[in-house]
Amino acid sequence: MRYICANCGYIYDPARGDPMSHIPPDTPFEDLPEDWVCPICYVAKDAFDPMD
Amino acid sequence: MKPSLSSLYQAVELRQPIPPLLVGERTNANGSKLFRERLLADDFEGCLRIGLDQEAGGAQVLDLCAAYAGRDETKDMIRLVSLFARSVKAPLMIDSTTPDCIEACLKIYPGRCIVNSINLEDGGVYLRRVCRLLRKYGAAAVALTIHEKGMAMTAADKIATARRIHDIAVGEFGLRPSDLLFDPLTFTIGAGDETLRDAAVQTLEAIRGIKAALPGVGTILGISNISFGLSPASRRALNSVFLHEAVAAGLDAAIVDAAKILPLASIPEADREVCLDLLYDRVRDSAKTPLTRFIEHFRAAKGGETGEREAAAGKERPEAALFQQVVKGDPEGLEDRLSILLGRVQPLAIINDILVPAMRHVGELFGRGELLLPFVLQSAEVMKKAVALLEPLMEREASAHRLTVLLATVQGDVHDIGKNLVDIILTNNGYRVINLGIKVPAETIIEKAREHRADIIGLSGLLVKSAIVMKESLPQYQAAGLRMPILLGGAALTEKFVAESCVPAYEAPVVYCADAFAGLRAVRAFEAGALASTRLAAESREKTTPKPGVKNVEIRRDVPTPTPPFYGYRHVEDIPVADIFPYVNEQALFRGRWGYRRAKLSADEYAALIRDTVVPLYKDLQRRAIEEHWLAPKAAYGYFHGFAKDDTVYVRDGDRIHAFPFPRQSEPPHLCIADFFKTEEEGGDVVGFFVVTIGDAMDRLTHELYKADRYHDYLIAHGFGVEVTDALAEYWHAVMRRELGIAGQEPSEIAGFVTQNYQGSRYGFGYPACPDLEAHRPVFELLRPEALGITLTENMQMVPEQTTSAIVAHHPQAKYFAV
Repeated sequence: MRYICANCGYIYDPARGDPMSHIPPDTPFEDLPEDWVCPICYVAKDAFDPMD
Repeated sequence: MKPSLSSLYQAVELRQPIPPLLVGERTNANGSKLFRERLLADDFEGCLRIGLDQEAGGAQVLDLCAAYAGRDETKDMIRLVSLFARSVKAPLMIDSTTPDCIEACLKIYPGRCIVNSINLEDGGVYLRRVCRLLRKYGAAAVALTIHEKGMAMTAADKIATARRIHDIAVGEFGLRPSDLLFDPLTFTIGAGDETLRDAAVQTLEAIRGIKAALPGVGTILGISNISFGLSPASRRALNSVFLHEAVAAGLDAAIVDAAKILPLASIPEADREVCLDLLYDRVRDSAKTPLTRFIEHFRAAKGGETGEREAAAGKERPEAALFQQVVKGDPEGLEDRLSILLGRVQPLAIINDILVPAMRHVGELFGRGELLLPFVLQSAEVMKKAVALLEPLMEREASAHRLTVLLATVQGDVHDIGKNLVDIILTNNGYRVINLGIKVPAETIIEKAREHRADIIGLSGLLVKSAIVMKESLPQYQAAGLRMPILLGGAALTEKFVAESCVPAYEAPVVYCADAFAGLRAVRAFEAGALASTRLAAESREKTTPKPGVKNVEIRRDVPTPTPPFYGYRHVEDIPVADIFPYVNEQALFRGRWGYRRAKLSADEYAALIRDTVVPLYKDLQRRAIEEHWLAPKAAYGYFHGFAKDDTVYVRDGDRIHAFPFPRQSEPPHLCIADFFKTEEEGGDVVGFFVVTIGDAMDRLTHELYKADRYHDYLIAHGFGVEVTDALAEYWHAVMRRELGIAGQEPSEIAGFVTQNYQGSRYGFGYPACPDLEAHRPVFELLRPEALGITLTENMQMVPEQTTSAIVAHHPQAKYFAV
């Protein structure tokens, strides 16, 4: 499931991962490290909303 | 012979083999609306029918009362007693405190009745007068534990009063103890009055105590008083359980609506438990009083019943209705409901026992993701309105013991929405908040903390610099000798920063609060003596959080330098508002600024919320913004020759050179904004700047909304202003890319702007890549935005608040990063 940053609107798409933070493709949002932050605005995981 | 009452038709023992003796309560002009209406209409036959119904419902004695202002009580009672004496088998209880009326009834009643009531209110004059009549006519009596100072509240006082009455009635007048039924009186535990939480306990103890202290006497109680103010269904259960407990304590007679007493066995176990918890004031959940649990339990239980029933219940119990009003944020009919409640509940009790628990419930719902921020603010508005209506009615000292929280946005920062949300939430949870406003120097905070005897200080600030200000001012608080906890909140703070950089500098707890409710939790923890400094979990202490971003990066030096349409600055004042709206980041506005998060909603429910509530709200704001001229978008921008040298970008303006030093990341890839500009040796570069504003109308509007306690609209308007300003910056950045001829592949939707799918970047001053606001000084010299009404504060912040600035880089590798 995709997640969206409530602060800036960045969408985490597990199919793509987050190359900026070395998160490989096919990493579910739930499996992101706890200290992973939004690559755009740096807010924490709990600022993300599920999208689908 | 056993002490008994009698009518023309039958005798009824005062001590029933299976207690209690049931006394019907509905034939009472003060207790039954129907009876009163019939009496006022001189419909005595109708009054009689109520008596007959009571008898059919199980009443063994009928309490008859016709005392009503504007009526001739004696005349009415003579009429009723004659009628009842002929038609009702149950003996009568003459309910009057007028000796002449009592005597008139005793004279004509063909049997042995009981008088309700005698008491010691005037010290014994009235008591002795009625005792004389009791003796003369051989009647029994109900004796209320009321003395010169009023109704006895405690068991000890009730027992002492009973003894005094007993000593006069038995000692002086020779009445038989068995003809006295003592009524220790009970007060409602349903109205949320803190001082009455043990009312049932005191009454039950008094029943036991009176029977032990005064051998031979009986006891009686008006049962339904206990539940006054609660819903009809829950009253039935509570009255029945209370009656059972009272009988177990030794109660001989009960004044009740006999038909509404339920057999204990027919009351579900769970209902019985909450009734008992309420009666004995057993707290099972520290967050909820037994009353709140009781109300919630019966509200949940009636979930399946009809709406009509709900509506009727709403009318019947203003307590629960008020609670719901706050939870739902519905101000409709608030004043009426409060004035009904004020008839019998102290204003402070309304606040402490209904409003505050309701806000607490709202906070819990928010915490569980079941209620979104805009709705929380609507609740707070209702709370605020209610408190504003109640406060003038309260004694001053009543509010003097509240915990005091001092709030301030720190020096150099003008952002106040976060601090104001904390103010709203704390104030509406009953705390005293001193809000010092924005840009408050530490010295002022220290001075005010002393002056107001603050229990807690809360510091807020949005800017990166504000986090530094907080950290650096803590030793000052320490040196000043302050030892109250300090709560820190703000966008640039993290738990780690607070734990590692702030906590060690101050002796008392320093606590990171992620949002207003975290602030509330901290204040509650302090009250409970359990507030501790923010600490990091062991694992996150060891881990160094890597900043996002590529770790090895080679900034290309061969990027062609675009040619701007002009060098120098220009001002643009007629930017069409309609051109900006498409650039609004609706996701950030709805979810971030407004707090319409998905939370516990399903995808469909969330879509419906956005479609039915949020989008209409947004469209309406857009329409009003245009019609009411809230937005006056203006831009001051320009292109300048410049070059990078080390970490500084030098910008030429005629014969002047302005230096913009930028920080460099301490970790790989060690980026610095200067990296994206060519050096003098590389031929120099073009440097763009802009300052854009939507004007000051939104600032004024949001300020007025906040002042007017329109919290919800305040949040909505403020968020709208912030995101429209950001949209203006996004729009203007796009204009500049076009002018530079680098707008090759522009994003087709907002998500593309979020991830910077365009060439180059804009870096806002005060934000992570260039946190230093000092840069505003040269920016203002370059762009002269003063002519557009934009000024700088002494702390280099721009006014109006909804103004934003940036340096614009065209380099394709230039993207957001944090230092």
